[in-house]
Amino acid sequence: MASLLSIQDLHARVAGKDILKGINLEVGAGEVHAIMGPNGSGKSTLAGVLAGRETYEVTKGSVLFDGKDLLGTPPEERAKAGVFLGFQYPVEIPGVGNLHFLRTALNAQRRAKGEEELDAMDFLQMAKEKAKLVQLDAAFMNRSVNEGFSGGEKKRNEIFQMAVLQPRLALLDETDSGLDIDALRIVAGGVNALRAKDRAMVVITHYQRLLDYIVPDRVHVMSAGRIVRSGGRELALELEEKGYGWIGGEGGAAGKAKEARP
Amino acid sequence: MSASHYVDVARSFQARGDVPAWLQAFREEGLSQFQARGLPTSKDEEWKYTPVATLSSHPFQPVRDVSAGEDVAQAVARLALPGPRLVFVDGRFVPALSVLTGLPRGVVLKPLSQALREDGALLQETLGQFSRPSAHAFTSLNAALLEEGALLTLAPRALSEVPVQLLFLARGGDGPVLASPRIVVVAGEGSEATLVETYAGLGTGATFTNAVTEVSLGDNASLRHFKLQAEGDTALHLGGLYSRQGRDSRFQSHAFSFGGALARNEVHAAFAGEGGECVLNGLFVGRGTQHLDNRTDLDHAVPHCSSRELYKGVLDDRSRGTFHGKILVREDAQKTDASQTSRNLLLSEGAQVDARPQLEIFADDVKCAHGTAVGRLDDNALFYLRSRGISKVDAERMLTQAFASELVRAVPEGPVRARVEALLAEKLPGSAEVMG
Repeated sequence: MASLLSIQDLHARVAGKDILKGINLEVGAGEVHAIMGPNGSGKSTLAGVLAGRETYEVTKGSVLFDGKDLLGTPPEERAKAGVFLGFQYPVEIPGVGNLHFLRTALNAQRRAKGEEELDAMDFLQMAKEKAKLVQLDAAFMNRSVNEGFSGGEKKRNEIFQMAVLQPRLALLDETDSGLDIDALRIVAGGVNALRAKDRAMVVITHYQRLLDYIVPDRVHVMSAGRIVRSGGRELALELEEKGYGWIGGEGGAAGKAKEARP
Repeated sequence: MSASHYVDVARSFQARGDVPAWLQAFREEGLSQFQARGLPTSKDEEWKYTPVATLSSHPFQPVRDVSAGEDVAQAVARLALPGPRLVFVDGRFVPALSVLTGLPRGVVLKPLSQALREDGALLQETLGQFSRPSAHAFTSLNAALLEEGALLTLAPRALSEVPVQLLFLARGGDGPVLASPRIVVVAGEGSEATLVETYAGLGTGATFTNAVTEVSLGDNASLRHFKLQAEGDTALHLGGLYSRQGRDSRFQSHAFSFGGALARNEVHAAFAGEGGECVLNGLFVGRGTQHLDNRTDLDHAVPHCSSRELYKGVLDDRSRGTFHGKILVREDAQKTDASQTSRNLLLSEGAQVDARPQLEIFADDVKCAHGTAVGRLDDNALFYLRSRGISKVDAERMLTQAFASELVRAVPEGPVRARVEALLAEKLPGSAEVMG
């Protein structure tokens, strides 16, 4: 069966600096892949390139999503095709209500699929149900997007949005970073509940800890803009033992130092 | 075209005669002030950024009669709020579309033409009292052509909970039309009211609205003043609001400036008694080649008064806006608490804004803060919205709407806010569906 996401020799630069230097990755429907690696290895850049962040310039390579070219389309078209990015740093948007924002987004996606739009009442009903998944209080929906949210609330809001939008490919960029263990369990529980045979997930993380709660089918290690190792779940365990030091190259030592922090 | 055109217009207007001597004298004084000043030029500091040539681009003239046809009735149906209202077309009062019922006890609303006949004594002591000291050419010209507008009087402790609305429609007739409405508000001690001035365009005729509003607030009185200016894209609009507040009074001005090729909104507010509170809010939204000027002038003349000022500009395409806000804290005005904020959003490379705060503080025990910002839409926020499937144009609209919403939400919930929201929705790019 063809991959849902197929990345071939992907090169990209940010502000004139080459960050991705030949990424190859195949992710099939129903699979969960973890991408690990030290800071600066290009993990977040990869997520941003896939979601369509315009400040990232693709210089070489191709990305196919469901057999179609992904790179030539604007971010909103990728979202409508089923790509979802869980942000490492969810953006605060004062003045835009959470509920209004998400309903606008969902209806834009539904329109693109030729489905009927949800009215405010039906949407609220559905959103309340989904919010339970990540234990978000319904009151947060009336607040501005991420405004004044704690770090944990922001990350739970990302998973909540994923639950509402039901993407085919979820890219979760360090969704676990900065969470205490209770919040991490909630977020991981939300992710696990959303695993489905027609949905692929790419979980980007700096910390092995996440993989105690989300069990990936494949683990990839990135360093200096390339995937330097791929394997099963046991690769994550190896990383836990050895840190990133063995990878060598740029960022390796720094990654280990960071990992060693309490 | 020059000042002499307006002088000729005012002379022939004044030659119609048949008015009380005091009124004729008032008009003549306006004309001589106008002649003495002449039209502003770009060398005037106050008009530095304004394309002043536009002000004499057409031979604008007052009209004597208007017919109020189906177009007017439709505009009224679209724009009018529930409650009492006076409707004007090209500066002329249209009784058939006005509503004078439903005014609470102690509240009197009438067209100025009627008031000039019936309330001469009150108008003589009120007209020009606050606008004169800081008068400029167009306030003088308004005086020279004084004829129509509105008088709103509130008896002591009178309370008008329903907004009183004045609807000015600029249509343009056979030739370029000049409308010079004068609105006078006299609020007695402890009275409270809301006044909404709406300015809108009908059709594409050349129109120039030169409005002056004078507000006298008695002790402990309260007035909320809303100005919704949504004239057509070719209109000229100048508006001057002059207020003077008695002891412990509250005055709020909310100025929404959306329409006009050139629109200038001026607010001159003065405290005459201690304990007064003043709120000056403004939102201007320009596109195309619109030029939107905003000028505020706050006179803290007495102690223990507070003022809060927030103006925001949203400028797209090649539109241009200015905010010039002056706060004067006189030597006696101890314990003044004043703040002024100007925030501006540029939506295109070609849009421009000039924001200039000017604080002159002569008292030493005061709290005065001011801040100015000019920025663009946040790329991270745009990407966040788009990454969820919202189109670029809708995402821009949502963020722009969010920027403006602070001033929309400053309007109490109800029909006035709904009207502001509707006018803003028409003005912003993108589809109306994304309005929150």
